Amino acid sequence: MAAVGSAEYAGHLPGLSADAVERRVLTFRGVGGAVEVAVPVLTAAQVARVAETVRAAAHGYLKTLTVAEIVTILDRAVARLLDRDDPWRQKAERLLPIVTGYDAEMVRLGLTGYLKTFRAPELRKFLAEDFASPQILDDFQPVPKGGFARAFGPDLLLHVWAGNVPALPLWSLVSGLLVKAGTVGKLPSAEPLFAGWFAQLLAEIDPRLGDCLAVVWWKGGDEAAERAWLAQADTVVAYGGNAALAAIRDRVPVTTRFLPHGHKISVALVSRAALDPRRVGEAARLAAHDIVRYDQQGCYSPQTLFVERGGRVSPRDFAGCLAHELAALARKFPRRELSMAEAGAVASWRDAQEMKGFADPGRLLLSDPAGGWCVGYTEAAEGPAPGGLNRTITVVAVDSLDEVAARLAPAKAFLQTAGIAASPEELFRLAGPLGAAGVTRICALGRMTAPEAGWHHDGRFNLLDLVTMTEIERSAEIAADGFARYAD
Amino acid sequence: MSDEAIYQGMLAFIDAGQASDAEFNAKALEIFAHQFEHNLPYRRFAMQRAKTPRSVRSWRDIPAVPINAFKDLTLSCRPAEESARIFMTSGTTRGGIRGQIHHTTLAVYDRSMIVNFRQRVMAGADRLPMAVLFPDEEAMPNSSLAHYLALALRMFGTEGSRHFIGADGLDIDGLFAALAAAERTGEPFALLGASYSFVHLMDAMERTGRRFALPDGSRILDTGGFKGQSRELEPDAFYGQLSARFGVPRGRCINMYGMTELSTQFYDDGNATCPSLKSGPHWIRSRVVNPLTGQDVPPGSVGVLVHHDLAHINSVAAILTEDAGILEADSGFRLLGRVAGADAKGCSLAVDDFLTAARG
Repeated sequence: MAAVGSAEYAGHLPGLSADAVERRVLTFRGVGGAVEVAVPVLTAAQVARVAETVRAAAHGYLKTLTVAEIVTILDRAVARLLDRDDPWRQKAERLLPIVTGYDAEMVRLGLTGYLKTFRAPELRKFLAEDFASPQILDDFQPVPKGGFARAFGPDLLLHVWAGNVPALPLWSLVSGLLVKAGTVGKLPSAEPLFAGWFAQLLAEIDPRLGDCLAVVWWKGGDEAAERAWLAQADTVVAYGGNAALAAIRDRVPVTTRFLPHGHKISVALVSRAALDPRRVGEAARLAAHDIVRYDQQGCYSPQTLFVERGGRVSPRDFAGCLAHELAALARKFPRRELSMAEAGAVASWRDAQEMKGFADPGRLLLSDPAGGWCVGYTEAAEGPAPGGLNRTITVVAVDSLDEVAARLAPAKAFLQTAGIAASPEELFRLAGPLGAAGVTRICALGRMTAPEAGWHHDGRFNLLDLVTMTEIERSAEIAADGFARYAD
Repeated sequence: MSDEAIYQGMLAFIDAGQASDAEFNAKALEIFAHQFEHNLPYRRFAMQRAKTPRSVRSWRDIPAVPINAFKDLTLSCRPAEESARIFMTSGTTRGGIRGQIHHTTLAVYDRSMIVNFRQRVMAGADRLPMAVLFPDEEAMPNSSLAHYLALALRMFGTEGSRHFIGADGLDIDGLFAALAAAERTGEPFALLGASYSFVHLMDAMERTGRRFALPDGSRILDTGGFKGQSRELEPDAFYGQLSARFGVPRGRCINMYGMTELSTQFYDDGNATCPSLKSGPHWIRSRVVNPLTGQDVPPGSVGVLVHHDLAHINSVAAILTEDAGILEADSGFRLLGRVAGADAKGCSLAVDDFLTAARG
């Protein structure tokens, strides 16, 4: 165990005194300096203690709040994080670029855009998406079939977060709190700060609420720690690659609800309607934005662009415009420094594109000499294969966008977002086949990395999937009448 | 220069026993000019990088071809029909597509192997009783490793040395008899094979509690790693077990690092400590580069290995591998595993996951 003198303390541990907790230091080095993050390493007894504290606090407090009250508290926390003068916000802007490696301005803009989707009106949309009447979380509400129903969140909801996209855990963390779940989140080692800060900020605003959630850490794959937590939870939301998810699933007790979110692939479609000299620059700029934001590390990031032939600008020329925009954005938002493995993946993808080009005139590779971005262009009938990530994109020319859905279908299990630039007729004509092929989100080109409030992540119900319904059937109501004091 | 002159010149270069920097450079430029002229896909590759025999003055500037290229291109100076032998890569990456490496003659390949093997593995011995844990060339005609091991057996094995993997798999009884005989005679023994074959063998020995104490001077040579064919072992554990099972000190457990895409092998001087230092003979040199820019990394930094093998005449001398390494001034390099196959840092799907899923 290293010394933890000036380290940033990660996590949030109600029920434990700070000096009783062992810490491990993760060191991050970036352009703006180095930061040491001291993550908590809990004993089995401490795991049980934290779980008990959270469960009891949620029972005694969170579950007694109305959903409207919860929205108000969350909104106050989000408002603080949107305020650039607030110390929490300043800390996030200072440390997240170092920890994740992303460009500071990209992180700043990304945080603001993202946090805006958690303001009170947006949270209400979030609730309305899944519940006809959000008060169903507070009390029994009449339901159309007759009788009443009330939704109960888990007593202890465990989130296993993954990835380095800044603040990403907020989606599921907020979802859990909205359904009044006692909440424990496992920090991702690649971004072990934001979720803990959010919990600490909530505790600052409402100390009693602070006891209703914990943010913990264990080393990914640490079976003993994982089992200890999995045994405590009644619902588990987990993010990660399929191998990691399969390992977790095997350890989740059969009576525990398991909600996995695997890694995903996203694509973009550009119609010939967007390919005239007046519009093409804008389409290329928006596509480049989607590629550059978080260096394609998000599940919503495009890896393949299908571009339609027959417009006044050819798909090949579109690839050139896209390369131009990527070059411009590389100056504005430099790519994060890559590990040797990541650089190897980019180089290997780029070199493979180049080699294929020698044998096939229908291919083209445009790239920055230092490999800062790469555009592969092909006329072959290719599907949505992952590229080398970190600003590598394949532009696939197609005769008609109507061909795309069939090419996506084999990757159904992995599909997520389709960004689209097309006319209204095309949009609605394509949406059906795309959905059938497995696409769960269709958005404007340029908005791929910024899902709107209340989106259904991977096509699932973020809130509804977490709750159980208790229904009072009509029969109980009628029978109760017979026992009323006023019964004849 | 005629093909004959190139090949003869290279044989003489190998036989010379050493080469100065200037001699290596001159030979490298000569081979580059030959390959640039006759190997058309390589010429296009070099021209794309603006490297031609006219512009290149140092072997370090000769463009290195990524090993994946062998899967898409026929990188050969002579038409493929003239190939005497085609070696194929194992296809453990990229969905099982196998790269092809064409040889119009194995004369230089064989000389390279023999001279180097004599020095690094035989180390003073003329011949040794040998056991090879790998199928023979007839069973695997496209395996460069099968050829290498068959050559070792033919050139350096005593009477009775043989392959112990045949159509029925590993001949454990025969092998145990050979090892027991070596114990009795006290004559040094050489056990050669794929790393994963050793794992299978040791697993079998574990079940029966079998151990050997091979005579002093015995050696073990493993190569190729595990390739998903056996359990994966950390090098320290692997060499520790080898040493314990066969009574050969770790300093005599040699690892050969070779590639189908080359005509020369690297060896370490045993694995008393891991990762061991690997080095090759005077006709091969290595660089450690940033894979994106192809530039040398600062001394002492980790990068991707580029090997420049002058013996690889019919194909391409400069190869960009997917192996991470670190150069140790003038004495060789340490191998740090494979580079490719990075997971996404976020939640987007990476190639390896996609391929895994596609395979089911």
